[in-house]
Amino acid sequence: MSVRHALLGLLAQQPRYGYELCAGFTALAGGRENWDVKPAQIYTTLSRMTDSGLVTLANGKNDNSLEKPLYSITLVGMEELMNWFRDSVLEEPHQDAFYLKLMLSLELDEVDAVRLIQIQRTALFQELHRITELRQSLDPQQQLAQILLMDKAVMHLEADVRWLDMIESRLEEVQHQPPPKPYLRPRGRPPSQ
Amino acid sequence: MTMIEVKDLSKVYGSGETKVIALDSVNLTIEQGQFVAVMGPSGCGKSTLLHLIGGLDRPTTGTVTVEGKDISKMSDTTLTELRRRKMGFIFQFYNLIPVLDAVENTALPLILDGVKPETARIKAKEWLTRNKLEDRGSHRPDELSGGQQQRVAISRAMVADPVIVLADEPTGNLDSRSGDEIASVLRKIVSDWGRTVLMVTHDPRIAAYADRIIFLKDGRIVDDALLSGDNGDNAKRLKEKVEAL
Amino acid sequence: MRIQILLAWRYLLGRKQRMALTTLAVVFGVTLLFGMNAMIPAMMEAFRHNMVTAAGKVDISISGDSNNPFDEASLDALKDIGGISHSTGLLQKNVLLPESLGGTTDPIAGASAVTVTGLDIPTAQSVRNFQIKEGRFLEAADGSETVISQLLADKMSLTVGDTLSIPSSDGIEKLTVVGILSLSASAGLDEIFVPLATSQRILNLPDKINTIDILIRSDADRLTVENEILSKLGPNFKSGPVEVGNELASALIMGESMMWLFGIMALAMASFIIFNTFRTVIAERRRDLGMLRAIGASKRTVMGLILTESLIQGVVGTALGLMFGYLMCLGLLASFGPMLQSFMRVSVGGPVITTANLVGSILLGIGFTVGSGYFPARSAMKITPLEALRPSLGAAEFRKNKRRALWGLAMVAASVFGLVIGELNVAALSTLVFLAGLIMIAPVMVKPVADTFGKLISLVYAREGRLAQGNLARQPGRAAITASSMMIGLAICIAMIGMITSILNGFIGYLDKSLGTDYLLMPSSLVLGGGNLGANQGLIDRIRNTDGVEAATSLRLAASQTKGAALQMIGIDPEVYPQISGLAFSNGDPATAYPALANGRSIIVNGMFATSAAIKTGDVLTLKTPQGDQVYNVVGVAFDYLNAKIATGYISQANLATDFNASSDVLLLVNRKTNSNNSAVLSALKAIAKDFPAFSLIDSTEFKNEQINMFKQAMSTLYVLVVMLALPGLIAMANTMSINIIERTREIGMLRAVGTTQTQVKRMVFAESLLLSALGTTMGILVGLFLSYLLLKALIFIGFTVDFFFPATGILMSVAVGLTFGIIAAMVPARTAARTVIVEALRYE
Repeated sequence: MSVRHALLGLLAQQPRYGYELCAGFTALAGGRENWDVKPAQIYTTLSRMTDSGLVTLANGKNDNSLEKPLYSITLVGMEELMNWFRDSVLEEPHQDAFYLKLMLSLELDEVDAVRLIQIQRTALFQELHRITELRQSLDPQQQLAQILLMDKAVMHLEADVRWLDMIESRLEEVQHQPPPKPYLRPRGRPPSQ
Repeated sequence: MTMIEVKDLSKVYGSGETKVIALDSVNLTIEQGQFVAVMGPSGCGKSTLLHLIGGLDRPTTGTVTVEGKDISKMSDTTLTELRRRKMGFIFQFYNLIPVLDAVENTALPLILDGVKPETARIKAKEWLTRNKLEDRGSHRPDELSGGQQQRVAISRAMVADPVIVLADEPTGNLDSRSGDEIASVLRKIVSDWGRTVLMVTHDPRIAAYADRIIFLKDGRIVDDALLSGDNGDNAKRLKEKVEAL
Repeated sequence: MRIQILLAWRYLLGRKQRMALTTLAVVFGVTLLFGMNAMIPAMMEAFRHNMVTAAGKVDISISGDSNNPFDEASLDALKDIGGISHSTGLLQKNVLLPESLGGTTDPIAGASAVTVTGLDIPTAQSVRNFQIKEGRFLEAADGSETVISQLLADKMSLTVGDTLSIPSSDGIEKLTVVGILSLSASAGLDEIFVPLATSQRILNLPDKINTIDILIRSDADRLTVENEILSKLGPNFKSGPVEVGNELASALIMGESMMWLFGIMALAMASFIIFNTFRTVIAERRRDLGMLRAIGASKRTVMGLILTESLIQGVVGTALGLMFGYLMCLGLLASFGPMLQSFMRVSVGGPVITTANLVGSILLGIGFTVGSGYFPARSAMKITPLEALRPSLGAAEFRKNKRRALWGLAMVAASVFGLVIGELNVAALSTLVFLAGLIMIAPVMVKPVADTFGKLISLVYAREGRLAQGNLARQPGRAAITASSMMIGLAICIAMIGMITSILNGFIGYLDKSLGTDYLLMPSSLVLGGGNLGANQGLIDRIRNTDGVEAATSLRLAASQTKGAALQMIGIDPEVYPQISGLAFSNGDPATAYPALANGRSIIVNGMFATSAAIKTGDVLTLKTPQGDQVYNVVGVAFDYLNAKIATGYISQANLATDFNASSDVLLLVNRKTNSNNSAVLSALKAIAKDFPAFSLIDSTEFKNEQINMFKQAMSTLYVLVVMLALPGLIAMANTMSINIIERTREIGMLRAVGTTQTQVKRMVFAESLLLSALGTTMGILVGLFLSYLLLKALIFIGFTVDFFFPATGILMSVAVGLTFGIIAAMVPARTAARTVIVEALRYE
């Protein structure tokens, strides 16, 4: 959803061409390595927004014109953008892919949970190292915004690493507890007491 | 080139019921110009490993080889000289001499080595300047912030051109911003000066500055992760690991 | 070397307050050591002088070969003789008193002749002790003034202000009596003293003297000095009889050994103060040293650093200490000098700086400072640099303490053994070992003592008391060190006071036993010898029949020889004598010894004789008697006060009559009935005494008091030394306490930070200080008692037997002084601690 609103935000500044929007988004997100959005996705999004009336073509709806389409925001689009600003952003940290992996590994003899943690940790550290280096290469006088974004990444990765440490130190306890069982809705009548 | 080689290194404190095995047959090789972080829960033996490599303590069994020389059998005098010329130490509590100013504290290893005081002062000032402390040279430790004190300590560790710098929780006593500063100074010591740095830390964020992380638990190395190198390389290693499962 | 100097200098300047306090400890130590030892020769001189003159003795008396007068100028020849402490010239002659001038041939009514003694006023009193009972002593401006003995005053009914006329070479000399000498003064029976010039005029012997009285220095050999004097003066002089008896000589030696003990104690305290302070400083520096080792300082470099630093402090402290020591000595002598002058008529010289003292003080001052830095630093060096970087472990300290305590115990045991051996040198060394041993034991004593006294303090300040108690128990080593400085100070004082009280009480005990009677009828010379005329049975009968007299007994006298030495024989009544008076027994049992005298030939000898002839109870003695040799069994060793200085044997009067033909009484002891009137009995006895002019009646209480006073004065020099020793010790404790607080600035800052009020911090410091001083006082008292007992035991071997007397007042004083100093010592640190700025304190390392 954020790509959509970011495009609306860019269009709210001034009408733009599609390629302008692509470059604008990449710059905003802190570089391609940060958030790699394909131009195709941008154009798909734009056409969807055009259809729903959030965006309009400023140089006329000229399908076969050689002229490149220039997008601009509509009043509805502006309304939508303002709604987005009003809402707070909540990510969903409790939806974790590694968690699923780990839980499943506990039940499978073929996979060692400790090793899993170690691999994940190495990966996290490699990422952390990469971002740290990236952050180090940025100039605080010019690129503070990007640095702050890097810091977010560092902090999240750090949190993940700490979480892994915590899991590792309490892994045995978890293994000794019954694994999460699916809650099966009872069928038929409850057994009589 | 191999800078540090640790073979079957063990350290046992006490005996009988109070016996504590701090290190248990550790094997480790560190290349020149590597920035290595040692991590692990407290009491895992990470400081002990650092101290043994630094020649501050004697191993119970096993050997530590620095630049091809076995330091575990060296006499105290030789070892002291080695520490003075080849190694730089950075401690958690900076351990600066409270009655000396920043330049004097920095120049200490040189003066100990018999370098002329004038020469030593010049070199000390150079290092302070590199660590952005040029205007703090005449300040006593208690007139400096924690981060500044640690930078003096790093200058002191570097002033005698050591090949190895050993840092024991160098950021443990600092806020995260000063911690980052210190870590990036250490990073530069490796990247710009080609020294080998071995650092004990429990802070993942600080460890991420290193090229390699060694994870210790209960006196043993449980994992050894290489962080640097291009991504393809790393991915390959990761794949190898997965296959090892 | 440069680095050491740089670091040493910076450390010293960087911690100015602590440096000042540490150096101060060195200064105290050296001051104590140097000052005490510079004062000891002067004090020893005073002590000796006091003892000798109190006994009415001089060391050497020089007179003309043919008893003729000689030139005053001869005195000048003695000036260069080093062994002489004081000398004075006298002109002494008997002058007959014609009846017209109050003289009488009837000895009952008055005197027929007087001995006129001309005194050189400035020097006379430094050689002899003249106790004035009434009026004043002669002064330099006096011409026709005189001071007379009390007995003469009684005989001739003279009082101060009266005129005494005596014949002189140009007619009659009218002398104004300005003073009367007391009984115990060294005055003969009918002696009058006038200024030397006056006597020279009376006797028409201008610029002449006929006697030189000399006191020698305590460290000089009498015989050497005597020979030197005689060779300087030329052939026409002779030395008079040796007047200082052996008993007195041994008392002198005892006093002088005590002075040396003081010197050694001063050394012990000084070293401890320095060691103590320096140890604390080094302990604090552990981490810095560890870091230096880690970054590549060799052991030698670090050692050099410590040595340089302590050397600087040692040199500065010692220099200041020498200066202060000299000033202290000067000041004390100047302030005590007049006191000694007026009470004891002793002129105390200036500080005596011997090379040994100077070199010793410098060596010990610097040596101890460097040493007390060196040893802790060396032990810190021995461990790996890493361990020095770590906080020290409490458990390890505790275990070490236990082992150390065992060593301490061993040292204490060894020193007790050393003291019992009885060699003075060994005893002195043992004393040092004893103190050192105690210091090692101290840490294990901290917890129990802190717990005990902590409860008391908790009663007053519940929270602070418990905090303080915990603080001490956590750091037993540090607490012990602080308390030890107090312990040593107090222990030494208590030991000394104990010893002095014991000696004093022993002395009073002798007096009481020997002069246990109410009245004495004495011959003109105090000491029985010298052929006094005795009295027949008539005198004692008359006394016994006097109203108000309960009992009377007598002593009779004869001379004998045994083993080639003279022995004075005293006859006593074995039945009556013990009831009225008594001998002080050092060997044998009075219950069997007295009856034994009555049966057969038995003898009790005095200690003087027993020691010199190696006689003990159960031996037999062959005595020369007018009837030939007689064998006596020794049944006891005992003495009376009057005859303590002369080899004496006591036998029954019956035996004395049979074997020695002596049956006249030379000394009578009289007891009054308890309900009788003193003055009535006294005047009745006086009337009887008039018929026996050879005897003088003495009220023994008065006599005894005079003697005790004199002895007390002699002992007061020792008290002065005790005070001198105690004060610096206690100041040192205050010093240690201050350092203790500085050391804990951080901890106190933390306490303040978590909400302790200033008052509470103050109270905590006070509570701690009180606990420490309680600890120090407790140990000090125990150790002091033990020490004084051991010192007394050691003295026995020097030749002086006294019973141990429990110095109760000394202990009470110590408790008071200890606690007072605990509070005083805490005052400044407590205020500093309370005012601690939290933020700065927390940053303090």
